Amino acid sequence: MIAFVLAAAGVAVHALALARFTAEYGQLPLNGLAPSLSTVALIIGIGLVATLGLGEGRRVGIVLVPVVILLETFAVSLGIEPGPEQLDWEGAWFAFHVTLAFAGLGGLAVAFASGLLYLVQLHELNTKRMGRLFQFTPPLTTLDRLGRTGLVAGFTTFTLGLVLAWLWTINFGQSSDLWNAKVFWAIMSWLIFVAALGVRAGGGVKERRSALASVVGFSVIVVSYLGLRLVSSQGGFFL
Amino acid sequence: MSPVSVVGVSHLTAPVEIRERFAFAPTEAEAVLSGLRAGFEVQEAVLLSTCNRTEIYVCPGGSERVQEAAERVLSEKAGEVVGGTRQYLYRHDGEASVRHLYRVAGGLDSLVLGEAEIQGQVKDAYELVGRSPATPALAGPVLHRLFQSALSVGGRIRSTTPIGEGAASVASVAVELARKIFGGLEGRQVMILGAGSTAELVVEALGRDGIRGLVVSNRTYERASELASRLSGRAVHFDEMPFELAKTDILIASTAAPHPLVTGDGFRHAREGSQSAPLLILDLAIPRDVEPEVGNEANVFLYNVDHLHEILDDNLLKRRRSVPEAEAIVEEYARDFLHWYGARGVVPVIRSLRGRWDDVRQGELDRLWQKLSHLSADDRDLVEAFSKQLLNKLLHDPTKRLKEGAGNGRGVEFIDAVRYLHDLEAVEGDRSEGSGPGDDEEVEGIEMDLPRANDE
Repeated sequence: MIAFVLAAAGVAVHALALARFTAEYGQLPLNGLAPSLSTVALIIGIGLVATLGLGEGRRVGIVLVPVVILLETFAVSLGIEPGPEQLDWEGAWFAFHVTLAFAGLGGLAVAFASGLLYLVQLHELNTKRMGRLFQFTPPLTTLDRLGRTGLVAGFTTFTLGLVLAWLWTINFGQSSDLWNAKVFWAIMSWLIFVAALGVRAGGGVKERRSALASVVGFSVIVVSYLGLRLVSSQGGFFL
Repeated sequence: MSPVSVVGVSHLTAPVEIRERFAFAPTEAEAVLSGLRAGFEVQEAVLLSTCNRTEIYVCPGGSERVQEAAERVLSEKAGEVVGGTRQYLYRHDGEASVRHLYRVAGGLDSLVLGEAEIQGQVKDAYELVGRSPATPALAGPVLHRLFQSALSVGGRIRSTTPIGEGAASVASVAVELARKIFGGLEGRQVMILGAGSTAELVVEALGRDGIRGLVVSNRTYERASELASRLSGRAVHFDEMPFELAKTDILIASTAAPHPLVTGDGFRHAREGSQSAPLLILDLAIPRDVEPEVGNEANVFLYNVDHLHEILDDNLLKRRRSVPEAEAIVEEYARDFLHWYGARGVVPVIRSLRGRWDDVRQGELDRLWQKLSHLSADDRDLVEAFSKQLLNKLLHDPTKRLKEGAGNGRGVEFIDAVRYLHDLEAVEGDRSEGSGPGDDEEVEGIEMDLPRANDE
């Protein structure tokens, strides 16, 4: 209960800070790396608050909290200031697109945290240990259910976000060049979602495969995001 | 004076066939304790009767007669025992009895170190006498304080040390493993292979956690039927076992078969098409009933006897390591209790001490007035004031030391010494409480300085 209240309070404060950013600079915090990272941290925080209400699932917070702190620390160290380009307000769909995409990533972050804990618990069970890690980590079935929920919800919102992006490029004549960094990254992320969901469809032990796919998938998305951001000249907006 | 004595029998002094003879039903407690109080100088009493111990706590302690009477109560309950019941009984008095109850409540004296059930049993024993209509109350201020603090000791030991962590029996390991694999156990299917008693214990433990579907399979169908009916399950013929295995979530194997009954090939064949759902296997048999290669199958968690004992040994080792920390908590609370008890007893002793010597002073003055009848009223007042001042000076240090003793846990020891050296027991009976020179400033100040034990 205390964890839930603290997390909810943290998310509320974070949301207020980003609302103040919007009011002060006249643009949503989706433009530029630091504001975008902060928005992703907020959405993962919302995912964390949701999982804290789910009985034993609350312990995924042990993974999600460091992710949120890491993202926010990185954003703050960069300086949360408006990006160089003004967001095209005519393209309100763009804002929805980015928000939905980030919500999708929030879902994947929940799946990542659940998957990581699933692999830890599986390791503990296979090594026949019942130490503190075993005691702390939630049951396999709980983690699998949470991971599946995060993945399905994340995939749905992320896909919706991409559809809106596609409509936005058609309506406002924006580039949909595959080699545009953000387009490439978005499609790669969507394919990772598809792959992570796909491994559940096959036979055999789908829970372990799915956990592994969520962990690897989320890690690849985060690393590629930062990598693209560092090497790409096509900054701006959320990338 | 000793605050409390305890007389009892436990798993440390008697085997179960003896212990069970000392066990009291909750309905018997009040009559037993009231009888003890009626016949002896017992003010307060509590009976703690569990499957591993029966103990009678009496207040005040220190009386050989009372302890013998409590022993008689226990012996009468046990009846005729070869070699007599006394060989199984133990006694603790004063500080040792306080520590003993704290260790009991903390699970330090339990058969399974750190087990939590005893905490509830101590609470029940105390509450049972609390509900008794006996007047004055069977659990008066001293035992109330003692049992309340014992519950605090138990709570603190379990919350601040790992003494209760980790399963400590095969059954509880099984329950913990099942919970960590399946989460909620409702609706899970359990199969017992064989009819061993350990398997039965495990199923009973799992059953308490909500498992409903239970299948028993044994080479002898009658034995399977018997066990299944005892556990509200369903017996199946041994050749149906592979078919049932496909639907099973938890398999407990404990047959006496000389060779594995669940082979790798047989298992794969049986589980074909079961979507590789998680399966927990507890192989409690020697020789093993399940081939080790079954444990390599995906989503199969196979634990044999060695695995389970390693887990148990590891958990018990962790529990044992936390004993010094738990004992330190017992010491801390015992000190606080004795401190409180000592302070509680010191005020009347100081009153008696001062009253005793004030009587002497007054008597000596009366004799002096007869010899010095020529003294004026002013001179008499001067002499009287001098005598009071002298008495105050003489008693100042003993009073101060008694107060200090109440504060440092030596109150009981000092009270006994002062009572003996000043022969106070003889005068206490003649003096009514709160009267006489006990009301002077120095005594009144003591009430303010009484130390407090940990408030719960």
